Amino acid sequence: MEFDLKTIEALAPDQASLSAASKLTKLSNWPRLEKNEQQALIWGECQGSGSNPYRVVVDTGDHGYKCTCPSRKFPCKHTLALMWIAATAPASFTSAESTPEWVNDWLGRRRKATPPPAQSTPGAAAKSIDDAARPDESAAIEDVATMERREAAQRKRAEDTRQAVSAALDELDQWIADQLRLGLAGFVDASSDRCRRIAARLVDMKATALAGRIDEIPSRLMALRSEERPDAAIRELGKLVLLAKAWRSAPDDPELKRLVSTSETREQVLANPDARQVESFWEVLGEKIESRRDGLVSHSTWLLDLKCATPQFAVLLDYFPASAGRRSNAFAPGDRFDARLVFYPSRKPLRALVAERMGEVMPGAWPDFTFGAAKDPLATHASHEDAAPWTTDCPLMLPPGAILVDDRGTGWWQARDDPQGIALPIAGAVNQTLLGLDLAATAALWDGARLDLLAAQSEFGRLDLS
Amino acid sequence: MNEGEQTGLATMRDCWITGGATFDLAPTAWKAIAGGASPDEQERRLLAIAAQALDVALRPAAPKTLKRRPPLPRLALPMLPERLRPLLRTALKHAVDARRKTRVATLVASRGFVLHPMDWMPAASDQSSPDVYAPWIDWQASVDGERHAPQEKLTAENWDEFYPAARRIALADMRRTEPASARMLIEAKASGEPAEVRLALIELMRFGLSTEDAPFLKSLATDRSGKVQDLADRLLARLGEHGHSSEGGADDPAVELAAFISEGKSGFIRRRSIYTPAKLKSPAQEKRRAELFETCNLVDLAARFGASEPQFIGAWQFGADNDADILIARMVAASGSDAAVTNMADALVADGGKPALLVLHLMPRLDSRRKRVLIRLILKDSKYLGALNLAEGIEASWLEWGDLTNGQTLLALRSAVAGNDDAAKRGVDEMLETMGFLATAATAEKLIEDIIAAGMPPAAPSLGFLRLNASLAGPGTNT
Repeated sequence: MEFDLKTIEALAPDQASLSAASKLTKLSNWPRLEKNEQQALIWGECQGSGSNPYRVVVDTGDHGYKCTCPSRKFPCKHTLALMWIAATAPASFTSAESTPEWVNDWLGRRRKATPPPAQSTPGAAAKSIDDAARPDESAAIEDVATMERREAAQRKRAEDTRQAVSAALDELDQWIADQLRLGLAGFVDASSDRCRRIAARLVDMKATALAGRIDEIPSRLMALRSEERPDAAIRELGKLVLLAKAWRSAPDDPELKRLVSTSETREQVLANPDARQVESFWEVLGEKIESRRDGLVSHSTWLLDLKCATPQFAVLLDYFPASAGRRSNAFAPGDRFDARLVFYPSRKPLRALVAERMGEVMPGAWPDFTFGAAKDPLATHASHEDAAPWTTDCPLMLPPGAILVDDRGTGWWQARDDPQGIALPIAGAVNQTLLGLDLAATAALWDGARLDLLAAQSEFGRLDLS
Repeated sequence: MNEGEQTGLATMRDCWITGGATFDLAPTAWKAIAGGASPDEQERRLLAIAAQALDVALRPAAPKTLKRRPPLPRLALPMLPERLRPLLRTALKHAVDARRKTRVATLVASRGFVLHPMDWMPAASDQSSPDVYAPWIDWQASVDGERHAPQEKLTAENWDEFYPAARRIALADMRRTEPASARMLIEAKASGEPAEVRLALIELMRFGLSTEDAPFLKSLATDRSGKVQDLADRLLARLGEHGHSSEGGADDPAVELAAFISEGKSGFIRRRSIYTPAKLKSPAQEKRRAELFETCNLVDLAARFGASEPQFIGAWQFGADNDADILIARMVAASGSDAAVTNMADALVADGGKPALLVLHLMPRLDSRRKRVLIRLILKDSKYLGALNLAEGIEASWLEWGDLTNGQTLLALRSAVAGNDDAAKRGVDEMLETMGFLATAATAEKLIEDIIAAGMPPAAPSLGFLRLNASLAGPGTNT
């Protein structure tokens, strides 16, 4: 490995990046550090602020690099930190005979170029790796009075936020009543403008998460057939009423706060003693990447607990600005790994963080789930709704079944042993091959109107459906 | 939810759609929960109850016309091992069109595996994928799919129980082993089929074609489809029979085509005829000549000059007019006798150079040995490596390392990889894909090492097909 600190200093875009990188050089931030000397590559996974770890690879030959983080600084702090570890603690890298798929993917897409001169960034001369490594002197020990003042200010800000959110919910209530008075037919037709207006008001009044949810209502309605939209509008608006009421009765409830205003930070979740922790083998069922109207892209990675006899799910949820461009995914559908997940506290915990990765797990079939005698494939959804009636998407593990089509070409899932029973419509176009396969178990998301398929097990093995 | 609540919900829903207060329409139990508040608050409470009811108590109404496709049949070969599927997907992703994807499937089938149906599926109209996929092609083609392809021999009695692709493969096999039985079956059943199917059935007569087939083919001169008539005419021409349009009159297309060809003499001692394409004066003439080459049969054209087919081909001056060379090569492939085809291929391959590439047009009619000879010639010469991508009907997985080192190919590949010419690099990508199809596993492995040593990134997508090939080497693949 051919790194010295001067090269890293020269590559860094600014002093702040170097300082941030120095904090990431602790090995505890890097569950995986590997190298392949033959190919002159080092790579690692850095647990950043997102739910998914960031994947970083560096070509030690020409200093080419790639990181999956959304930073617009090049190289980012994760890349600099990986180089820094390579320069100062090369023994931390385990030798790997082969490169992982995501590294191969990057290698396949990149075209080697002559490395640019390493000191062209303005202000490069002002950067110093020694300064970056020095402890932050501004973080001097605070005296008790300062701390109290800071806490008092925090309490005041929290109270101000609560009042603003409360006012926002009053405005939302009035807006919902107006929609009912004016008629849902008109609401469906003009949902784009109307939702945008109230969402903008809610952002101003600090109900940011709720605003984001309302902004997505039009696209959820438009994904359905016109005759289904009024019912969907009733469901969407009714859930908002329930959420607002629940927040008013318990404004400090972490789940409700997350859904209405802002989410906890990763550190807060990890430090929360009430947060549920599950150490298990996990399989990546699939990913959903959606561009939102507020300019963010939501990236959800759905996981299945492979050690549990009843289907248990988790979702790793990240947001990043759409302007950051397409991100490489941290996991691929079908990946399996051993990890400890920490769930965000809620009535039906689903959203989680990877707290610790212990390694990969061999591929194989899903556990032999016992689906019980219940004929209702939506029983899990109903139980979710009973506990948290504001939930929109609920993960399901459907019993043995098959995909059928109606006259319009829409796909429907139906249980194998109940051909006259409940059938669930599937979102989007269905792969025609799927129509000839018997599905032993199907993982999907149900949003009250459509099934969004994630993965299935069949006589042909695992099927990626996301 | 009871019946009253369902009725109440429906009425409230209708009222909300048009706009207005629904409190008076709500079921009594819901009123009790929602009441005692301002009118707006009452409506919101009812909305929340209705939302919950819609979500939890109601289920989607499935149409009665839901249709189930028959189960996708299992194929005769095992599925590609799971651990090799990422390599397969890389190779399929890099294969830009259906033909190249089929080549990937063909290579994998040659090593004893089939692909996962979610990775690749032959189209309903596919006729070039390996025979093992016939059940899937028929599954794709069948909409209602009541029938199942039986395992027994195809006969006139069980004809309708076979799906088209399975029937086509059974008939092709029968033509190779019992050509007369297959002909009688086609004769008995083809007339009842639509023109498109009839054409595909008659096309199978090319397997094991012999003079015994001539009476049946002649009877097709009155077929109600012009395409079937033309095909039968071509097949008869391959047997040396003159077609129905060769009366020799002024409107005979062979006479018109002959006018585009100049006959001359060559040699000092033994004077012999040579045939050279006449110089054309306008694009209209070029167009007409192309049409005539397409519609005339070789046997009729040769007869215009009083020559046999091999004599005519032997005297054709290849290299004088590239367009005319391509047209005559196509004509030989379509209507030439087996002797004319092999004579032309052997002569051109023996002479080498660019004209040898014309043999690519004859590929569908050449035996496996001749095809390999041509590929080896192109590789040895290395000037026209791009032409390999045009070759059709070649077998997978036979090219040895010696075939690559016996000439300039490897050197040309190495220098293109090491160089900075983007067009040359694209050429290498295409070439490596073709090699992925042709090479044995051992050759594929050596080629990967060689190309990486020359400077290609180890994970380059263009190595994907070769990597899949190398990983499908004999014992251990199945684990």
